Amino acid sequence: MHQHVSAVLAAANRKKMTFEVIRHILWYIVYAAVAVVLLFPVAFMITKSLMTGTEAASLPVRFWPENPTFENYKLMFTENNYLRYACNTLIIVVFNMIAIPFAASVVAYGFAKTKFAGKNVLFVAMLSTIMLPSMVVQIPQFAMFSAFGWINTYYPMTIPNLFGGGAMNVFLLRQFMRGIPNELDNAAKIDGANAFQRYLLITLPLCVPILIYVMITVFNTYWSDFFGPLMYLKTESKYTLAIGIFRDSIQNSSVQKVPVRMAAGVFMTILPAILFFVFQKQLIEGVTVGSIKG
Amino acid sequence: MTNERTAAADVRPPQPQGGKKFSRLRETCKHSYIGWLFTLPMTLGLLIFTFYPMIQSLVYAFAEYDGVEHFELIGLGNFIRMFTSDRREMIIVLKNTFLYAIISVPLTLVLSYMLALLVNKKIAGVGVFRVLYYLPVVIPSVVSGLLWKGVYDPIYGLGNSILNAFGLPSSQFFESEKSAMASFIFMNIFGVGGSMILWLSALKNVPPELYEAATIDGANGAVKLFCITIPLSTSMIFYNLITGIIGSLQTFNTYVVAANEGRGPNNSLYFFAVKIYNTAFAGMRFEYGYASALAWVLFIIVGLLTVFIFRTSKWVYYGEES
Repeated sequence: MHQHVSAVLAAANRKKMTFEVIRHILWYIVYAAVAVVLLFPVAFMITKSLMTGTEAASLPVRFWPENPTFENYKLMFTENNYLRYACNTLIIVVFNMIAIPFAASVVAYGFAKTKFAGKNVLFVAMLSTIMLPSMVVQIPQFAMFSAFGWINTYYPMTIPNLFGGGAMNVFLLRQFMRGIPNELDNAAKIDGANAFQRYLLITLPLCVPILIYVMITVFNTYWSDFFGPLMYLKTESKYTLAIGIFRDSIQNSSVQKVPVRMAAGVFMTILPAILFFVFQKQLIEGVTVGSIKG
Repeated sequence: MTNERTAAADVRPPQPQGGKKFSRLRETCKHSYIGWLFTLPMTLGLLIFTFYPMIQSLVYAFAEYDGVEHFELIGLGNFIRMFTSDRREMIIVLKNTFLYAIISVPLTLVLSYMLALLVNKKIAGVGVFRVLYYLPVVIPSVVSGLLWKGVYDPIYGLGNSILNAFGLPSSQFFESEKSAMASFIFMNIFGVGGSMILWLSALKNVPPELYEAATIDGANGAVKLFCITIPLSTSMIFYNLITGIIGSLQTFNTYVVAANEGRGPNNSLYFFAVKIYNTAFAGMRFEYGYASALAWVLFIIVGLLTVFIFRTSKWVYYGEES
């Protein structure tokens, strides 16, 4: 009798298990199907970059290269000037990755940890600029930067960032700093630390997670920034990757040139992708801080 | 009593009061100077790089200005021009921009929400798929535009091979005014991973007790979705709606994929932001005045829409505490 019951139970369990396994497999099939669709453009870029120019221009169209070759990844640096563009881009990116977190965290400390007259007015004024379509200020800015002699330099994409480092970044850092208990600040004050020391030695080290987020978004923004270089960079030797690959697409529009350009595209995507893989957690959390608490 | 007081106040010599005011000001400065010092860069930045240019562009909007020397105030001339000599192109540009926003924003919203629900399950290895779905988002937008230009090449691109494989007729994609907009909207769907991440965090914030209670009450999956999950993520829906609309009305990405200086075949991909750019910087002569007027019109449209959405946002749920 007893044995009989447990046998029935085991059978039921086994049935449930197989049901679970089938359910899982079905889900994985759905997941994989969606992944195939969403990753198709990436795959297209990669396989195209492994073709020769003649293969890309031959019919019928093929997805897989017949004889995969890494030749294009050499050509982009020899026939085209992508190494130059990459170096130029890095100048802007590295400057901003240091300047923006620093500039924004100083301002954010002012908003989060000090009291001053006009704080709310300034904060609201700053936040309202996030909504402002950039087109409204871009034309006078262009006139201003022309007057400064900044055309065909990297100044328009770097120097303004020293002044506060962007409203969104200040906002994110302020939100984060408000979460740090004020007792730490007060204790340091009693010990005789001045405001700048408290910012640099107490608050800033605790902001590392959000600083990483800001740095990565800064990297992504300026690594792929198209509009700034389109407006301000006029000679080829000054081009960044984004404007370089765009001008390349206009000057070398024939199909044979597509594989080299796709190699450059892969090259431009690798760093942002690696950064995303490594800092997934901070990135997702940072996005969430910016949107939910906003 | 009250009269006496007022009288007494009147009798008082004005000198000390002024001094009091002055000392209050000094007190404020003493309290505030550290805060002012910390936020000084932002104050300067806002003044130099935002507010001053804003005033300038407002002045430009009522002027004819080529960016060099010819500057002449012409009153409402620029705005009148939008409705008269430039009317045909304005209608096209507004139609394209709004058509894109009206289709693309809800489409991305729904698709990314479905995607988030899909990967919000507790199944081993689902994290890997989340990462994979986000991957297209990390491609720089110029690269993404160029790669889609390759896919959409009517002869050498894979787009038509795929359409034909599903038994669909070939398309000219970006090269025909009939299919250009649809192709552009389709291409942007591949960025759904970005909003998916936001949804996932919203979904995580739904208290699991609610689902347990619903299960006990015998609710099925659809009821849970429509009565618990969606109502509780309205604040995120709202955020995505606002940023989506603001962003889509300022779309400039067509500049990369569309021929004829970002216009597309027969202006079918000509967007408002591209028109502003072309007016200001790409024509035979620079027209800062007219471009600024256009930019302000865009600003006002975006602003009004934002206000409208905020006004009608009673459906948004911000959690218990707020």
